[in-house]
Amino acid sequence: MIRKPYFVATALLTISFASRSEAQGALSLQGLGYPAGGLSARAEGTGGGVADFDALSSVSPAALAGVGSSALFLQYSPEFRRVTTPSGSANTTTARFPLIEGVLPVGQSWTLGLSSSTFLDRSSETNLKRTQVVGAPTDTVTLTERNKVLGAIDDLRLALAWSTSPVFRIGVGAHVFAGSNRITFSQLFPDSAEFISSAQAGRISYAGFAGSLGVEWHPSRVIGFALSGRKGGDLRAQSGDTAIGSGRLPDHYSGSVTFDGIPGVIVSARAAHDNWSSLNSLSSSGIQAFDGWDTGAGVEASGPRILQRIITLRAGARFRTLPFGFNGQKVSEKTFAAGFGAPLTRDRAAVDVAIQRASRSAGSDISERGFILSIGLRVSP
Amino acid sequence: MPRLFATAALFVSILSCSENLDSSGVCSVLCPQIGGEVQNITIDAVVVDTTVPALSGLGTEPGLLLAFRGDTLDTRVVLRFDSLPTTYKPATDTTQAIISVDSAYIQLTLDTLSIKGAEPVTIEAYDVDTTANDTSTAAVLALFRPDRFISSQTFARAQLTDTLKYFISNAAVLARIQSNARLRIGLRATGPASSQMRFISTEGGFAPLMFFRATPDTATKPLTVTLFSKTPAAESIVATHLTDYTVIAKGPPPAPPSVLALGGLPPRRVYILFNIPSMIIDSSTVVRATLLLNQLPNTTIDPTDTVLVLPQVVLAGKAVTDPAKAAQIIGGISIDTLKLKPGGSGSTNVELASAFTLWHTQQPDTLPRAIVLKSVTEGNSPLEIRFSSSEDVAALRPRLRISYTSKVPLGLP
Repeated sequence: MIRKPYFVATALLTISFASRSEAQGALSLQGLGYPAGGLSARAEGTGGGVADFDALSSVSPAALAGVGSSALFLQYSPEFRRVTTPSGSANTTTARFPLIEGVLPVGQSWTLGLSSSTFLDRSSETNLKRTQVVGAPTDTVTLTERNKVLGAIDDLRLALAWSTSPVFRIGVGAHVFAGSNRITFSQLFPDSAEFISSAQAGRISYAGFAGSLGVEWHPSRVIGFALSGRKGGDLRAQSGDTAIGSGRLPDHYSGSVTFDGIPGVIVSARAAHDNWSSLNSLSSSGIQAFDGWDTGAGVEASGPRILQRIITLRAGARFRTLPFGFNGQKVSEKTFAAGFGAPLTRDRAAVDVAIQRASRSAGSDISERGFILSIGLRVSP
Repeated sequence: MPRLFATAALFVSILSCSENLDSSGVCSVLCPQIGGEVQNITIDAVVVDTTVPALSGLGTEPGLLLAFRGDTLDTRVVLRFDSLPTTYKPATDTTQAIISVDSAYIQLTLDTLSIKGAEPVTIEAYDVDTTANDTSTAAVLALFRPDRFISSQTFARAQLTDTLKYFISNAAVLARIQSNARLRIGLRATGPASSQMRFISTEGGFAPLMFFRATPDTATKPLTVTLFSKTPAAESIVATHLTDYTVIAKGPPPAPPSVLALGGLPPRRVYILFNIPSMIIDSSTVVRATLLLNQLPNTTIDPTDTVLVLPQVVLAGKAVTDPAKAAQIIGGISIDTLKLKPGGSGSTNVELASAFTLWHTQQPDTLPRAIVLKSVTEGNSPLEIRFSSSEDVAALRPRLRISYTSKVPLGLP
C-alpha cells in the first residue's frame, strides 16, 4: 500500500498578507504611541505654560541655568484612562515614569543637565475576538487575537546652559532617542485538543539623534520670554539586525511668556509646534502623523502657609494635537490641570503634584477621558 | 491637610503601580485585525498507509483475554510457574521439605468492566508444559486435551469480582513440586453461553500469583509463588513476557489487506506516513490539522461496542524504514481519544494538531511525518476498527485537512 507522493490540493493554497502589528485600543495610542511631553509635574500643573522656563522639564536647555543648585528629579505619572465607543468601553491604567533628570551647576555661569524623558509610549494590550472557519466549512470557532506592546522611545538629553545674570540664559542640548517596543502576538483558540494556539514575539529597537537650543530673556522683573527648538535627525527602527524603517525625528519649536506683575503670582503661556509628519515613513500600514500645535496657559500662585511651608498652587489648561491620527482624522487632546508644590526638609527637597483631566477626540463617536496623576520629587543633595 | 493629601496621593500612586493595559472592551472599533485569515486546505498527503502488528511479541499485552464465544472468538491464557518451592518453614519448626499441598489457588486480577456474558462460566485448567518452541501457540493449543486436564471451577456472574481466586488441583501442584518440574497452566473458559473477561497481566502491573499451604496448620503462612519462565533461556526479556500470555485459538476474520485496521486479535495498528508541503510546516502557523478517514463497518464481533482510538506520533528516525518497526517507536500527542464503534461507517476525523507542533520543531529526516493509530485496549479486546486505505477510490482515501495562518510580521504600526 505504498504510494508515490501524490498531492492534490482540493482547496487552493493561498498566501495571506497579514496586516502589521498595530495594537491600539485607544485614540491616544495610535501609531508609535502617546507623547508624554517631557513636562515636569510643575509644568503640567500650569498647562505647560512654564515649560520653557522650567529646569525640571526637558524642553528648553536654557532653563537649566535657573536651577540654582544641583538637583535630582524623578517623576511618576500613572494615567487612568477610559475609552468609550458605541459598542463598549475600556478602563486602563498605564504606569509611566516619564521624566528623570539630574542637574549640576558648574562654576558661576554654567549648568549641566542629563535627563531621560518618555518621547512616545506605545504600551498597550488588546484582545480582539473574531469568528473564523477552521477546518470544515461548518466548523466555526472564536479566535482571540491578543496583542501586547510594551515599551517606548525615550529622549536622552545632555544639556549645557549658560547665564551670568537673570536677564539672559542660553542652553544647548544633544539628544539621543532610543528605546524599544516588545510585541507579543497570540492567536488563542478555545479547545487545545483540536486547535493549536500560537504566540509570536518581536522587538523593535529605535535609535536617533537630535540637537536643541533654547534662550530665555527677562527684559524686566515682571515679564520673561523663552524660545526653544529641537532639530531632529534620522530615527531608525530595526528588528534584530534588520532595519525595518526610518524617518526623521520631528522638529520642535516652542515659545513661552511669563508675567510676574502680580505679587506671588506667575501667569504663563506657551505655544509649541511639532513636525510629527516626519515620522510618516515609520508606519508600515499607512497610519498618518499630523504636524500639530501644543498650546497652554496657566497660573502659579503662592498659597497658604502650612506647617511653616508655603504651598504653591497651580492651575492651567492645554490643547494639543496628538501625533498620530485615527481613521485619517487628527486626534486632539484638551487638558485641564491643577496641582501644588511644597518644599520639604528646608528646601533641600520639593514635591510637585499635578492632576490632569484629559479629553481626546478624533471627530468621531469615540471618546477618551483620562486622569493623569503626576508626582515629581526633587532632591538637592 | 497637606499630609492627608500627600497620603491620598501616595495611596493612589501605589494602587496605580498595578498596570492594566487591556483595552479589549473597545476592540470592535479600535483594534484592527492583525492576523491573517485562516486558510483551510485538504490534500492527499498520504505516502504510506498500512496495517502493522501492534505488539512486539507474544505476551507483551497488558491484559490476558479469556474468551469463549463459539465460532467467533476463543482465547486462552497461559501462566508459567517454572520455579516452585520445594521446602517450607513451619511456624514452630525448622525448614522442611514440602510433602503436601493444600488450598492451592491462583489469584487473578479481573477487569470487571471487561466481562461479557451473564451466564455462569467454567474455567478449566490444563497442563500446557511442552518442549516445543516457546512462541508456538499451535503446540500450546494442542495441549488443551483431556489427558492434560488439571481442574475446573465454575463461577456465577456475581462471583466474578476484581480479585478472583481460581482453585486448582493440589495433587497437580504437589506432583510438580516433588518431581522438581515446572508448572505451566493453560486456562480455558467454557459454559452454557458465551463469556469473555480480561485479567491483568504482568505487563499490566498486577501479575497473577499462586498460593498454597504446605501444611494444614493454619499458623503457618501460605506460600506464594510468582510467575516465572525459564525459557527461552538466553532471552530474559522474552521470557519475562512469556510468564503470562494470551493464546488465540480462534479469532475474528482479519480485515482484507487493502483495508486499514486497528485493534482486533492479534492486535494491529495503522501506520500512516505523510508528505506535507514544507511551506506549511515551516513557514506558516498550523492551527488545526485533521486526518480525514472513511470508516468501514466491521460487524464480525460486538459492532456496537466502543473502541477508543489514540493517535500517536512516530518517533523512529529515517533509519527505521520498516513501518512495522517504526510503529513500535511512538509517542503520545494527545490525551483525547476518538470513540468509534466497529460497526460504524462514514467519515471520521482524527485531530493531529499536536503532531504538527512537534513536526514544526524537527526536520523530516529526524522525525518523519508519520503517525500511528492504535486502540487503547489493543491486545485486550477483539474489537477492530477499519478504514479505507489509499487503495480505495479517491473520495474515500485518507486525506489531510490543514488549517493555517501566515506568520504575522511584528513590526512598525
